[in-house]
Amino acid sequence: MDTGESHAHRPVTLDITVEDVGTETSAPAPTEQTTSHTPSRNNVLPQEDSIDLGGEFATPQEDSSTTPSESLMDKLNDQMMESVMISDSPNNSEEDDVAPIDSFLDGPESENAGETSGDQEEQSEIGHSTTEIKVSVEKQEEEGMEESIEEDKKELTDTQKEITAFVSPQGDTQSPSDSQSEEAVSELAKVNTPKDEPVPVCTIFSQGTQPKSLVPDGFQPTLIKSPSFSMGSGGGSDGAVTPSKLTAPLVCQPSPSLSKFFTDNGQANPASDFFDSFTAPSSFISVSNPNADIPPGTSPAPIAPTPERQLSSTSSSISTPAPTQTPASAPATQPQPFNQLQAVFSGSDDPFATALSLSEVDRRHDAWLPCEETRKVLVSVATQQYSPAYAETNRLTMPGLKFDNLQGDAVKDLMLRFLGEQAATKRQVLTANSVEPSFNGLRQLISSKNWRAAVDLTGRLLTAHGQGYGKASQPTSHTTDSLQLWLVRLALLTKLNLFQNAELEFEPFGNLDQPDLYYEFYPTVYPGRRGSMVPFSMRLLHAELPQYLAKPQEALDRLHNLKTVCLAILENLEKGLAEDGSMITLTQENRQASLKLWRSRLSRVMYSMANCLLLMKDYVLAVETYHSIIQYEPQQCVQLLSGIGRIFLQIGDVKTAERYFQDVEKACQMKGSQLSHTTCVLMNRAFVYLSQNNYTEAHASFIEVLKIDPKNPVANNNAAVCLLYLGRLKESLGQLEGLVQQDPALYLHESVLFNLTTMYELESSRSTQKKQALLEAVACREGDSFNTQCLKLV
Amino acid sequence: MDVNQAKQEHLLALKVMRLTKPTLFTNLPVTCEDRDLPGDLFGQLMREDPSTIKGAETLMLGEMLTLPQNFGNIFLGETFSSYISVHNDSNQVVKDILVKADLQTSSQRLNLSASNSAVAELKPECCIDDVIHHEVKEIGTHILVCAVSYTTHYGEKLYFRKFFKFQVLKPLDVKTKFYNAESDLSSVTDEVFLEAQIQNITTSPMFMEKVSLEPSMMYNVTELNMVTSGDQGESTFGKMSYLQPMDTRQYLYCLKPKPEYAEKAGVIKGVTVIGKLDIVWKTNLGERGRLQTSQLQRMAPGYGDIRLSLEMIPDTVNLEEPFDIICKITNCSERTMDLVLEMCNTRSIHWCGISGRQLGKLSPGGFLSLPLTVLSSVQGLQSISGLRLTDTFLKRTYEYDDIAQVCVVCPFTSNES
Repeated sequence: MDTGESHAHRPVTLDITVEDVGTETSAPAPTEQTTSHTPSRNNVLPQEDSIDLGGEFATPQEDSSTTPSESLMDKLNDQMMESVMISDSPNNSEEDDVAPIDSFLDGPESENAGETSGDQEEQSEIGHSTTEIKVSVEKQEEEGMEESIEEDKKELTDTQKEITAFVSPQGDTQSPSDSQSEEAVSELAKVNTPKDEPVPVCTIFSQGTQPKSLVPDGFQPTLIKSPSFSMGSGGGSDGAVTPSKLTAPLVCQPSPSLSKFFTDNGQANPASDFFDSFTAPSSFISVSNPNADIPPGTSPAPIAPTPERQLSSTSSSISTPAPTQTPASAPATQPQPFNQLQAVFSGSDDPFATALSLSEVDRRHDAWLPCEETRKVLVSVATQQYSPAYAETNRLTMPGLKFDNLQGDAVKDLMLRFLGEQAATKRQVLTANSVEPSFNGLRQLISSKNWRAAVDLTGRLLTAHGQGYGKASQPTSHTTDSLQLWLVRLALLTKLNLFQNAELEFEPFGNLDQPDLYYEFYPTVYPGRRGSMVPFSMRLLHAELPQYLAKPQEALDRLHNLKTVCLAILENLEKGLAEDGSMITLTQENRQASLKLWRSRLSRVMYSMANCLLLMKDYVLAVETYHSIIQYEPQQCVQLLSGIGRIFLQIGDVKTAERYFQDVEKACQMKGSQLSHTTCVLMNRAFVYLSQNNYTEAHASFIEVLKIDPKNPVANNNAAVCLLYLGRLKESLGQLEGLVQQDPALYLHESVLFNLTTMYELESSRSTQKKQALLEAVACREGDSFNTQCLKLV
Repeated sequence: MDVNQAKQEHLLALKVMRLTKPTLFTNLPVTCEDRDLPGDLFGQLMREDPSTIKGAETLMLGEMLTLPQNFGNIFLGETFSSYISVHNDSNQVVKDILVKADLQTSSQRLNLSASNSAVAELKPECCIDDVIHHEVKEIGTHILVCAVSYTTHYGEKLYFRKFFKFQVLKPLDVKTKFYNAESDLSSVTDEVFLEAQIQNITTSPMFMEKVSLEPSMMYNVTELNMVTSGDQGESTFGKMSYLQPMDTRQYLYCLKPKPEYAEKAGVIKGVTVIGKLDIVWKTNLGERGRLQTSQLQRMAPGYGDIRLSLEMIPDTVNLEEPFDIICKITNCSERTMDLVLEMCNTRSIHWCGISGRQLGKLSPGGFLSLPLTVLSSVQGLQSISGLRLTDTFLKRTYEYDDIAQVCVVCPFTSNES
């Protein structure tokens, strides 16, 4: 059927040629002249025409065969955020009018040469960046060297097996000094016992100015071969090695528990050593999470954190009397009278009352429904049939850092390369060394956008907790704080687009449902406290992560699990039970607070699902899901409907988008005029104009937004983009440049800078200098988490 | 060519950027709760981020527009837009600048420049901007040829060209199938059904804005891609009319010959022109593409010398109860025929009346209506077969089986129980 190309070039409306198939296919017709005539079946024999839209190419296969290199290039380009130039390579430019264009066309060889050389240029650039591993971690990540990563994983699991094979739990639990370096891991394979290891120095406490890498110089770690890690080894190779002697002799102090003040059983706690690997020298001791203590909203009594904590842990044992109580919570009062008590105290500044409401808050936030198996273990722990000390290792969560430090500042590296050493020394950012090693320091790093340094700091804090580098698969204990640290670390890795790293470190946590991740597992440390130690945000992060690693289906599965639990908890609450389904009478107030919390969590999960579906380009389900969020977050109705409208614009369905934008306008009218709503309506209108190719009107609408809200960064940026499409490059450039200079806080954003650098490239041959000026501006303001790719300098 | 390049530095720089639609920036929401260690820090960072949606920071799709990040693919029927910027990199005034943009395809060369007049002078650090548009009508290699000629401060005339090559790809795969709805009663109207399979062979989702059949003058067309319920029609493709990459969708059309042609329909032979498909699609932010197929042609079903069609037949009949049908016999040949009708009973169908009756002479193009009576002895869906027409002039017999189906029911069953 496709062979009719010889008939090609029948001129039609669009110069599209269609094969002349009629004659061939209608072959049966003449034979029907014979006597037998059954009109029905034979004639229905369908003619199937394949319409070739182009005369030049005989078959679609041929078409595609000419393109793969291009599409591959596009893929690369997509990830590389390469320049938009069609092909500015000198190969294609000719000085003199030597070769007539026809020869260009007729000589496929020369064409190919041109093409391949273009390709090579691209590739060589890419190759270049791979060699430059130390400079840009993201870049390597995005190049997705999946193969090597996969290999690494294999290796990793192998080595882990080895570790578990050789590590004897008793030997290791008590001695943080054993925490192995990379070397240790490899030497494990040579049947060395951990004790034979040289006792290395803990990076955290060494007084060196430079942060230390755990990886000794010249030693290629097997665990961390993934390209994104090589940075760590490159960056801090000067450092001495690993864990500490220092940690060993220190007093063990489980930061959150303080249980010993309240538990009446004075007996030596066999597990306490086991738990208390959160060893802290000097400033470390106060590592506790004040946020956890503040009951959001209702009664924030201004009490010093410590007493609160004490009360909280004890009182929780009182107010949540599970049927299976530990002796620790012996003074258990009955719930009813207690609620009355609570009613009396509520609202007062009495620390006792605060403690009560705290326990409520704890229960509300920590509630989770473990899987059946885990639940059984927890019940048997509570009934003392089962001692956590003898838990099988495969049921335990044994996390550890998988790479030691990220210590890198891509901005500084670029400065070194383009602006020279002197300029680079001016770059001052906070590092893990320049803040106090505490939660406050951590917050400081996060808010100053030095997330790499913050990741480093979480690494140090976790090392101090005995979950440092190489500690994976070694029994450890968990505390509220250790899990919060993990949350921060993993969240930051995700924010930094270091998804593989995050996945690697998430791995030991399994599906976050091991018994040792629940408070019930530690009846002595957290007497009476119940629920999940893993913060909800961490579960969410864990569920979302696979979608960034090209496994969106897995992410959806996990998100659905979260949704199921949220729904079950909401159902329990509506039935008048506690979150976990136990028969505890809750006050109306508490029930409402709990319902509110879990509804908001549910809607957060729904958001993640919708985002994931959008990433999967399953627009039907994505739109449905976003739409269903409106019932949980009615105040976000306008934003959600506008968002759905934009999804339709993205697909190209302008009409449906307009329908949603009309709904937005109705919703805005109902809610009365707010500034944000007016801008939203105008913005939507601009997007519709844009989709109708009407850049003039789109620009006018964005300007309209700016009349109401002159500081609106989106409208400013978008107006500039429209100007470019209107052929007004200089104006557009001028506008964006002005914005970046006047208000760097708002406009030193990835997207704006990307637009700006693209326009620089289009404007002149001196774009590099201008980009370097941007780099300097960035260097003064942005932290180490700045994504330098948008400057397109490399 | 490299050698050429090194030869001389030009005062002007030519830059070209394809203007595909901008894209909306997506951010990556990472949140935590107030109770977690970072407290509100993550929330605050997200609120301060200009690219997030204020009030709904967890919504991934933002409003910030970003310029196209690569050349992308270009498909037949789309519009190729490009920014052409000529910038004076030197520190001297350049005169009489003429920028010419041509698009060379395998078959023709088109001039795309908006104006063909020279710009009198260009100061340092200034540029000449042009945005060109061209609807791509050919597949294969295209070369954008940009030529710049200018005169330097010293009166030297200079000239350079740059070539930008790109491939135009095929966006859609269209396959058509014709169904002649002839065997049943509709043969009265000679309806033709066209099934068009349209496959998206690009790499991005495609919104099909319009897929319509423009019929040739002989036909009226009814689109069968909407289900009308109430006053609102609903597409058979569901609420969302977009095609994922490699997805195929079937469009169905019913074509009826216009009355003036319908009379002669039985006589029309050979290839007939049905019409052409007009396809309009849109992708990212309304990037539009349009294609028309060439005229779709259909081999009109050969009716042979004599065409037998049904003008009337009941759909449901009672068991063992005679019913009437009316056959229409048309002489499609070029000669007069003298016909004899034979009726052969089948297992289930029994013809009433005399077999072997003379129908008389039928001139070319002539027809006659023939009322016949049949009864069925078997329940269920029964095929009417067994008519034989013999042309006594040529001693040629034409057999007509499976002319139509009737549903035979037993009239008593409902009363019994």
